[in-house]
Amino acid sequence: MAKMKEPIDLWIERHEREPDVVAKEKFDRFLKAAELKVPDRVPVAGLFGDFLCEYTGITWYDLSYNLEKIRPAVLKFVHNFPSDWGIIFAPMMLEGFILGLAFADFPDFSNTIRFLTGPVHDILKDKWSQWPGREIKEDFHPQFRGGEFMKPEEYKQFIENPIEFIHGTILPRACPGLGTPGSPQWNAAWIKIGMTMQKIASFQAQLIAEIGKMGNIGFPLTNAYAPADVIGDFLRYPTGAMLDMKRRPDEFKMACEVLVEPILKIATAIPPVPPLTVFFAPLHLNEMLSPKLYNEFYWPHLKKIIETLVAKGYKGFIFFEGDHSPHVDTILELPKGWGIAWFERPKNFMEVWEKLKGHTAVMGGVPTSLLIGGTPEKIDEYIKDLLSKIKPEGGFILSPGVNELPKTTSVANVRAYINAALKYGVY
Amino acid sequence: MSLKDLVEAYIDLDEEKVLKIAENLLKSGGDPAEIIEACRSATNIIGEKFERGEYFLSELILAGEIFNSVMRIVLPQLKKEIKPIGIIVLGTVQGDIHDIGKNIFKAFAEAAGFKVIDLGVDVPPEKFVEAIRDYKPDTVGMSCLLTAGIESMKKTVDAIKEASLRDMVKIIIGGGRVDKTTCEYTGADAWTNDAATGVRIILKWAEEKRGR
Ligand code: B12
Repeated sequence: MAKMKEPIDLWIERHEREPDVVAKEKFDRFLKAAELKVPDRVPVAGLFGDFLCEYTGITWYDLSYNLEKIRPAVLKFVHNFPSDWGIIFAPMMLEGFILGLAFADFPDFSNTIRFLTGPVHDILKDKWSQWPGREIKEDFHPQFRGGEFMKPEEYKQFIENPIEFIHGTILPRACPGLGTPGSPQWNAAWIKIGMTMQKIASFQAQLIAEIGKMGNIGFPLTNAYAPADVIGDFLRYPTGAMLDMKRRPDEFKMACEVLVEPILKIATAIPPVPPLTVFFAPLHLNEMLSPKLYNEFYWPHLKKIIETLVAKGYKGFIFFEGDHSPHVDTILELPKGWGIAWFERPKNFMEVWEKLKGHTAVMGGVPTSLLIGGTPEKIDEYIKDLLSKIKPEGGFILSPGVNELPKTTSVANVRAYINAALKYGVY
Repeated sequence: MSLKDLVEAYIDLDEEKVLKIAENLLKSGGDPAEIIEACRSATNIIGEKFERGEYFLSELILAGEIFNSVMRIVLPQLKKEIKPIGIIVLGTVQGDIHDIGKNIFKAFAEAAGFKVIDLGVDVPPEKFVEAIRDYKPDTVGMSCLLTAGIESMKKTVDAIKEASLRDMVKIIIGGGRVDKTTCEYTGADAWTNDAATGVRIILKWAEEKRGR
């Protein structure tokens, strides 16, 4: 007897039969949610991570370096686990915003170089990241390590001219592959990086076009960052940054202040195209800070960046990592409809939703641990209950806290997540 | 200015004030051991505030740093080294470089009177084994925040067994990725997700050992 078709199977069939119609639906659905309106159904966000590697039989090394293997794997994955909207880093990417800052005055590529890839890491030999088949095993997820590359006494120099300081001091320290500024090795490395980026960008453009033909959408996406996270992630390490807030408060604030303009330059390198262009920013220090430190050292500059970009016609898309609950109220200081807030694991998701609904589009709601450790029945029940509490209000996107799932996640669980969105998400 | 002021300033995380009080106390002939004791009770309270959600990671880190700064001025003044109540070999396991939690636990354990041999991060099993041979600790502490690190912890416990050192040490594991199941799987003796509880556990072990 043939197995009964589930909602996800019917949706997959529609992707095959009428990809353009499906894509148009997704476009309207996501746009409406971002605009706090009520779409036909709650949009469901896509997944990725170890689970993709396991399912398609490729390694993290492949996903980072092996462009030929990436294409069939990603296409198969996107076909079998459809979503309304998703990001798959193919090839895999890690945070590299400091490189974007280094070239903030060059809008033709500042926004591309802001992510680290394995091939670029091979040239830079940067100490910020570790890659499968290089520093770590082939089946390991690429890792961001960060580190301390600026001494506390160097804030002054940084503040005087951040971009020059990054080029002259930080890059040589963190990227031995570059050699000495101005040396033949240095110049050659940047040329090689340009060539590598070109190759990757054309690969991605082709892949995105193919995914698009299969009934998927994308909105123009640009990038921003919280100034304090630039300091924590790339310059002073998270611990160093937190101590500096106490020990060098004025310098820390000044450093954030001077980062605002270059960050805005990177973000605006991609112009806002109606109806929707989003700027993405993942937050890192947020959950580690007390509200006092957050409100004094983190939020003011981030807020300025968000407000400026929103006024220019972008919408924000901020990934609030960790438990952002202690700081949620500050989001209400932003203009209504400023963008999408994606929450990783707030202590109480419904509380966050109740506070923000009608003001901010909210993404999240499904604990990643449920997808990993739960059963299809439990997932179904959880999402049914969640959506019954959230609807009929619009402005909501269903997603796990992080879109990267480990290998051990079962296919049945992921299908249950998508099924539940299709079943219970209809308004 | 008294020890009580020191504790208060410490709980307020006023680093400058804590150091000033400690220096003054030492200058006027105060007992270094009492200053350490005062710091210990302050870190205790800070740990509890963290557990209750009143303090955040930023405060814990600062608390650890203040402890280190106070030790830098107090330790040289100690007439005779206070005998540590126990020795602990501590490290973040192979493949994992998260050390914020490990360092906090280290500061808390030192404040409680333990001598901590810190092996750093990404520590391979052999290094733990070597350190047990060299330092003869009572306890081995492993920190782990990555799922991938669970295997490393198991390998480390196995390596300790293979070297016939398992009976000499108690093993405690900590860090965000650790729970009862992990503890059983890896063969450790205890686990915890917070430094204060960790210190309570190793204090209990030290007491049991003395009682024997
Ligand atoms: C800060 C951080 C980083 C920093 C680390 C800075 C540093 N020096 O530690 C950076 C940015 C470098 C980083 C890198 C990565 N990280 Co990280 N990181 C975190 C984060 C946000 C906080 C961790 C932390 O410090 N917590 C606070 C401390 C105080 O808590 P704690 O460690 O549990 O410690 C307490 C107790 O457990 C106890 N304790 C700790 N150790 C010990 C030991 C003993 C013996 C005892 C008794 C007690 C004890 O005392 C502490 C105080 O109470 C977590 C998310 C989270 N909130 O957990 C992710 C997280 C741990 N990271 C994660 C990941 C995946 C990574 C990366 C692989 C990311 C990547 N792909 O690049 C890399 C890994 C690099 C590597 N090889 O390790 C994941 C782990 C997922 C998993 N299940 O494996 C997490 C959970 C984030 C997430 N949700 O995905 N990370």
